[in-house]
Amino acid sequence: MNPYWDKNFFQVFMIFFQRMVQGFPNMASDEVQILVLSLVAVSTGLLGVFLVLKKMTMLANSLSHTILLGIVLAFVFLGAQVLNFEVLFVAAFISALVTTLLTQFLTHTIRLQEDASIGLVFTSLFALGVVCVTALTRSSHIGIEAVMGNVDALHITDLKLIGIIACINIGVFTLFFKEFQLTTFDSVLAKVLGISPTLFNYLIMILVAMTSIGAFRAVGVLLVLAFLVGPALTARLLTNRLKPLLFLACAIGIFSSLCGVALSRHILSTWHISLSTAGLIVTLIALVYGLTLVYTLRKRSGTHAGTGTKEEKV
Amino acid sequence: MTYSIFDFFTDPVFRAPTVGSMLMCLASSLIGVLVIIRKRSLLGEALSHASYPGVVIGLILISFYFPMQEEIIGIGILAGAFCTSLLALFVIHKMERKFRVKSDAALCFVLSVFFGVGILIASRVQTTHAMWYKQIQLFLYGQSATLMDIHVLTYGILCCLIIALFFLLYRSIEAVHFDVDFSKSIGIRVNFFENMIYCLLALAICIGIRSVGVVLMSGMLIAPGICARQFTHRLSVLLVLSGFIGLISGFFGNYFSVIIPEMMQVEGQKNFSLPTGPMILLFAAFLCAISFAIGLGTRYVRIVEHKWQCRLENALKSMWKNESIEASCALRFWLKWQGWVDEKYHLTPEGFIYASRIVRLHRLWEVYLVDYLGQKVEKVHRNAEEMEHIITPELEKELTLLLNNPRLDPHKQPIPEETL
Repeated sequence: MNPYWDKNFFQVFMIFFQRMVQGFPNMASDEVQILVLSLVAVSTGLLGVFLVLKKMTMLANSLSHTILLGIVLAFVFLGAQVLNFEVLFVAAFISALVTTLLTQFLTHTIRLQEDASIGLVFTSLFALGVVCVTALTRSSHIGIEAVMGNVDALHITDLKLIGIIACINIGVFTLFFKEFQLTTFDSVLAKVLGISPTLFNYLIMILVAMTSIGAFRAVGVLLVLAFLVGPALTARLLTNRLKPLLFLACAIGIFSSLCGVALSRHILSTWHISLSTAGLIVTLIALVYGLTLVYTLRKRSGTHAGTGTKEEKV
Repeated sequence: MTYSIFDFFTDPVFRAPTVGSMLMCLASSLIGVLVIIRKRSLLGEALSHASYPGVVIGLILISFYFPMQEEIIGIGILAGAFCTSLLALFVIHKMERKFRVKSDAALCFVLSVFFGVGILIASRVQTTHAMWYKQIQLFLYGQSATLMDIHVLTYGILCCLIIALFFLLYRSIEAVHFDVDFSKSIGIRVNFFENMIYCLLALAICIGIRSVGVVLMSGMLIAPGICARQFTHRLSVLLVLSGFIGLISGFFGNYFSVIIPEMMQVEGQKNFSLPTGPMILLFAAFLCAISFAIGLGTRYVRIVEHKWQCRLENALKSMWKNESIEASCALRFWLKWQGWVDEKYHLTPEGFIYASRIVRLHRLWEVYLVDYLGQKVEKVHRNAEEMEHIITPELEKELTLLLNNPRLDPHKQPIPEETL
């Protein structure tokens, strides 16, 4: 029996925190969803800030598409019946490598402009992935789920997977925080000090591919972009410092995921409509961004008005 | 049952999907050329995803008020998709200009948020109206199999509209795309044109998503243009070629999406259908790969040709100077076959003329380097070794005129006379 059955928005929170103190006896599906999505939000929040600062978000877009092909290839060549962590890691590595190498090949050897080569590579690889998946499984179901995500189908094994991925993300960013900071803001100084910006770009790309694979089942390849970019942009409006930026981005992501799951449960209990939780969370992320934007704009116009009166007094 | 290619144009079931997807790809590949030239191919990605909520809202609203009327539903979907992509265009513009968000982040944010809203709205009807939900899903990867003649007519009219606009405004488009200042000076309203092209982009995307699908539309926009770009530098040829490639990939994508499931059909297992979009895009990408291979191949052939010519000319030059040479069998054969050497490997008159021209170019270039570029005498030989193979007859004439037809090179060696 799901303890969240027929509960409204606030009751969901109350029960969640009560059960958190007890350590989640017989974990319910809503709890799995909340935990998975929060871990996704933490990983993507950390990554997203650096991606936005480095102007690499379109690369994340292409990587999150090509992991589908990576998963299919790993599935075919390694012949794994159950997609365990090692297989998925190999898939992430393959897809990051193939995408980058192909894009570089098109830009440097064929001398195609960069945006066109990115656009061509990832859409073609994704198309190949979709065709392979459809032909192998003989249904178009997985292809559709790949872009939409299916939060309701999450299982406790997904929680383990995304848990490991989040740990890796947090570990890498705490270990190499200084290096990432340096390569993001002053790549010339980084090079002088012997820290290769290219190496850390590749590291970020592998992390993006891995995180996309973790988020793949929950939110799909497209909505993970909102997780990456949305919180980072919102946090960017509020602060200019890197550490608060990272914390804020993670916090906004977790907040949106919590509210999203609770809201979807609330709507199901009161109006008996089952909405897509992933869609709901993305809408919430956009709403948070919009509200923050309005807030900062009003604050900015307020300070402008303040300075205006001061000048008048002078 | 097997189908020939012609059946796809005559068979009443296949006719509409075939012609429909070809028309859609034609429209998108024409607009795609402009997108590539503007270097905004990622904008296409954002706008195509942003059309998804429009599709969902249009389909739900029209199906609710006019149930079972396919023609009106099709137009409603088109209108909805067009509205939301325009809205996305507006939001991206505002984010980039007003709030100074970096272009890539703005595009990513808009595309995923619009798509997420689309999914949210679609999930509302998932359980209550399963039929509508199924129709909405078809727009993700495109499914041209359900197209009917009336749809083809609508899309055909819109395609003709786009092509007609291209014909009418071709000169202005050319001017705006390649020289903004010039077009301003001759009185073209540049801003108006830019906005019109973005609106056309949104329209082409809305036309295309029925057969290519929201997710892969951006790839289909640019793939034919990229393929055509390998063969030509002229805008007019580029447009025609790209449109042609679009037509072909539209046809074969549709063809393979019918044929492959038939071939892979196994007794006793349920049938499956391949979505059209990935097949169309894969075919276009395949054409791109071929064009890349041709481009690389011609570049490689030119390199090999040049190297061969250098070896040939060096051999002739050595013979002219009566130096001993080591020539490969093929080189010797070629020299003889061209009539530059005789049976005993002595230079024929033609060979002598050719060789003395090479020596002349070498020494002329040395004179030029020393007299005009102030190079040291002992350093000029290596550069002249390379230039002697490249200088054209016109350039030789100019050099002779400029240097006043010198007799001696910087190393005090005689320069052979100009021979005709």
